[in-house]
Formats: sequence, structure tokens, C-alpha cells
Amino acid sequence: MTLHGVRLVLLQEFRMRVRTGRWQWLLGSWTAVVWIVAGLLYVVLADDPYNDDPIGVPLFGGLMLFVLALILIVSPAITAQSINGDRERGTLATLQASLLTPTDIVVGKLLAGWGVGLVALVTTVPIVAWSVVEGVTVLRAVVVLTVVALLIGVVCAVSLGLSSMLPRSITSTLLSYVFVFTLAGGTLIMFGLSSAVLARDNGPTRDDLVWWMLAPNPFVVLADAAPQLPVKRDSAGHVISQPDDPLGELGRGVRDIRRPPGEGCFDCYNDSGDYRDSHPVWPFGLAFNLALGIGALAIARERLRAPADKLPLGTRIA
Amino acid sequence: MDEGYGIVARGVCRSFGQVQALRGIDLTAPYGEVTALVGPNGAGKTTLMLILATLLRADRGEIRVGGVDPARDPVGVRRQTGWMPDAFGLYDQLKVVEYLDFFAGAYRLDRQRAARRIAETLAATRLSDYADRPVHVLSRGQKQRLALGRALLHEPRVLLLDEPASGLDPHSRIELRDGLRGLAAAGVAVLVSSHILAELEEVADRIVFVSAGQTAGQYEVGDLANAAPRPWRVKATDAAALSLALVDLGVSGTQNDTGTVLPAMNEEAAADLLAALVSAGVRVVAYGPVGGHLESAYLALTGDGR
Repeated sequence: MTLHGVRLVLLQEFRMRVRTGRWQWLLGSWTAVVWIVAGLLYVVLADDPYNDDPIGVPLFGGLMLFVLALILIVSPAITAQSINGDRERGTLATLQASLLTPTDIVVGKLLAGWGVGLVALVTTVPIVAWSVVEGVTVLRAVVVLTVVALLIGVVCAVSLGLSSMLPRSITSTLLSYVFVFTLAGGTLIMFGLSSAVLARDNGPTRDDLVWWMLAPNPFVVLADAAPQLPVKRDSAGHVISQPDDPLGELGRGVRDIRRPPGEGCFDCYNDSGDYRDSHPVWPFGLAFNLALGIGALAIARERLRAPADKLPLGTRIA
Repeated sequence: MDEGYGIVARGVCRSFGQVQALRGIDLTAPYGEVTALVGPNGAGKTTLMLILATLLRADRGEIRVGGVDPARDPVGVRRQTGWMPDAFGLYDQLKVVEYLDFFAGAYRLDRQRAARRIAETLAATRLSDYADRPVHVLSRGQKQRLALGRALLHEPRVLLLDEPASGLDPHSRIELRDGLRGLAAAGVAVLVSSHILAELEEVADRIVFVSAGQTAGQYEVGDLANAAPRPWRVKATDAAALSLALVDLGVSGTQNDTGTVLPAMNEEAAADLLAALVSAGVRVVAYGPVGGHLESAYLALTGDGR
């Protein structure tokens, strides 16, 4: 891999993307949707007469879960055609025959696609900044944005890998969406069914045996990775109740699932009142997803290596 | 012993699953000459080109491109090889100059050399006026010139062209021919595959015939005239006297509108027959081979049309 080669491919891909699609319209409508949802969320939260907690926390949590969902829908389309599409157009082989290495091409294409996803994420930054003003910790904002950014990268990498393996771009696009829906929905279905099977003999719930099925779920990873809110106390030292916190609740939920039945929750809060992070789920999920992404990139690089021993089924190399 | 040859291939084999695409191709392409690769569809021309361009690995055989083994050191081959595939895409949204600039980067030309080569290429391909136009406005011939210019950007010593003349109008073909002659004169080893035999006859120094994945023969174009016998056509003022004389000489000709077509002969035999006809008093007005050297050699060597 060379910096020169990666940069060359990256700039080329970016230039092609900017010139082909109606990206101004796409980015414009993306931003509009995100901001409209944020605005509606704000109105709903601010109008709640029983809630005088800062609204930054629920606003941020709700919005980021929504943004993650939206970005998961968009991301496969970004890179799912970038290798077999080039093959179909007859532009890949001339690159392979040049002094660019397979890694240059794969990394350059990945960064270009990922960059597009990150631009989409950047449009939410003003809302995130505002949430920080309204009570979200900077640490939480940074961690959540980072996790979303990494998950975009994973989806782009897996789609890129699929586009190197499959001859037709329409198939790789379809499978990229199947991958995303498996992560987001398939994990839930698998967990739900497994949990039901385990609960047949009316014994104690043994969800702790199958918690790992939920781990790769992007929403689980995002929520559980979000740092807990700092504990607030009144003047007498009593813990003040936290504001509504979608991310925190989802995170605590999956940690509860992971906890073995014997281990009660009376000790979930330690002496200082912090929720004990004894069973985090997100490191497994994130590591699993990152491993998938890296594996997909390795496959893509292998598929671009020349001289090639084999040809992908049904492709002409030029 | 391989010095002086841009391409040396011996016994190259390659199969795709059950299909044996190459069954032992031998080929040499010297520097400073245009070598033509000729054969029917499916003979393995494109497969061989892909192997020489370092995109495909050969199953067996010995290959040197610019003195380098493409399986061991593909980068060493790529540095000194230009390749233009038969079907290629250009980046439609790029401007012509951006397209060349991208490949100058891909071949790691330094900034100064890139600027010089891009200017030279634009001039040589007569695309200077189109430098800032998007690639998709170019005509087919202009795109072909741009692709050839791209293949030559890094001044390769070996040039591989797969069917470069297909789809070109006569004017562009003549231009391509002159361009290839110029490159050969500059010392480049040019390997060009084509179907258009009449064209190759004018541009090529050497011809390599391939058929069913094997080399059917390698010839210097000059030697080809005598290598393969071909039919001749004769015409005389008096057709009846001609056929009478042919019967006397024991030659079976078939008469048609354009004259009498004689069986395949090499040049020596044809000259002898002409002398005999003239001395028999036949007033011959036209006498010449039917079809080009290449066409008859092609048909004889590839076994088609018999």
C-alpha cells in the first residue's frame, strides 16, 4: 500500500461520485430529513409538561438511533458496486495493469465510500453540538459519533467485499442490503426465537446463554457503547433521577440480558451510585463487526490481485 | 538469447476449468518490430494478451516481457508494458486531460514528466482541442486514440494491443497503422492482434498465427509470399485460347466473370506458368494472386475455409 496510490484512487472515486449522482439533491434531502426529525423530536420533548429534565439527552439518543437507521439504509448503496461496476464498465483491468497495488485500489475505494457516509454524518453535528449544550456530555457525543462512523465503515467495507466477489453489481447491492438487515433485524429474530426455545421448560430465563446473538446489532452496539450519564446528587447526597435516556436504557437492557440468573440486580449500582459496567456487550459486537469489515477488505484485495489464478464466475477480466 | 526480444513466450498453457484456452503457444516479438497475432475467434489471442499484461497467470510455460517473468515480478513487467484491451471503458465523467493525469499518477510519473507526457500525448493523439472536454463527448476513433495514448503514457518498451482497429473508420486505421510503424521505428516491441488481415499485412513485420490455443506458424511478412501457396487469377484477350492453352499445360482453371482462377501455387510456380502461357501465344492482360498473402496463409494455417 502506498499513500500516493490510495490518495490517487480516493480522489478519483470522489471526483466520479461528485460528478455522476445528483449528490447535491441527495445530501440536501438527507439533511432536511434529519433536521425535520430533530425538530419534531424537540417539539414533542419540549411540550411534555411533566418533564423538566434537560431535553438534550433524549433528543440526542432518539436522533442518533434514527440517524443510524437511516445511514444503514443508505450505506450499502455507496460501495456495493464499486468493484464489479468497474469491471462491467471495463475500467478495472487497466487499473490492475498499472503500478497501483490491490491494496491501493481497495483502500482508496473504501475511503471514498466511507467519506460519503461521513459527510452524511457530519450534517448532524450541529444538532449534536446543541444537544451537548442541552445536557449531553461531550464524551458521550464523541463516542456515539465515533461508533456510528465505524459502523458506516463496516457496512461500506462489507459491501465492497461483496462487490469484489460477485460478478453482477445488482446481486452485490442486494446482498449488501441483506447483510444490513441481518445485522439489524436478523439478530433480533434469532435472539427472540432462541430465547423462546430456551424458555420452554418454564425454568429460569436463560437469555444470558444467547445474549451474544444481539451483540452485532448496530443499535445495541451504539446504545451500549454510549457512556453512562454522570450521576447527579442533591445537596443531601441523594441520587437525582436521570432524564429519559433511550441509549442508556437500551444499553442497560442488553447488559441485563447478559447477566446470569443468579446474579441479582440489587448490586447494579455501586456505593457511589454508578451503574456497574460488569457485563458490557458492545465491545463484542463492535469487534465482531470490525472483523467482518476487515475480512471483507482482505477478500477484496485478494480478488484484485494480479496475475489472477481464477476468474470470478462469468466475468471477462477486461 | 532472449535479448532483443520484447516478448518471449514458450509453451504457454492456460485452462479455464475444462476449457483449454492455450495449449502451448510459442511467440517472440523483437524490439523495433510490429508482430501481429492472428487467429480465429477463440484461438486464445486475448487470453495470451492478458497473461502478457500480468493480469492472468499461465498454468505452464516460460514467459519474458521486457526480460522479466510476469509471474515472478508483475510490477517489473508493468513498468515497461503498455496494454490496450479489446473492450475497455474510459471514465466518462472525466475530462480528457484528467483521464491522462490519473494514469500518469497510476504509473507514478513525477510531476514534471507527467506534464510533459500529457502534453505530448494530447498532441500525438490530436486531442489537444478536447483536453478540457469530458471523455464521453469523444467519437469512437478519438476514444481509441485516447486509450492508445493512455497505454503509451509511461513510454513502455513493449506495447500490447488487442484488436485496436475494430470499429475504426478507414482514416483512423491508417492513422493507427502509421502510429504503430512510428513506435516500432522508435524501438518499441509492438504485439497487435487483429482480424483485419489486409491491414496487418501493411503494418506488421512478423506474423504469428494461432489456432486452437497453439502457434500454427511464425513468419516474417517478407517470407510469407512463398510460404503459403495461393490461388491465382489470369485473364487474356481471348478466353477460349486461354482455356485451350491451360488444358495443354495440364492446369485446371475455373472460369468466372473476373477471369480464370487457377489452383494454389507459390510465386515460382506461378511465374513458370505465366511464361508458359505467354510462349504458347496466349495474350495475357492480367495475372495475379487472389487475396492477400496473409489471407491465404491464414486460411491454410488455421484450416478454415478448406
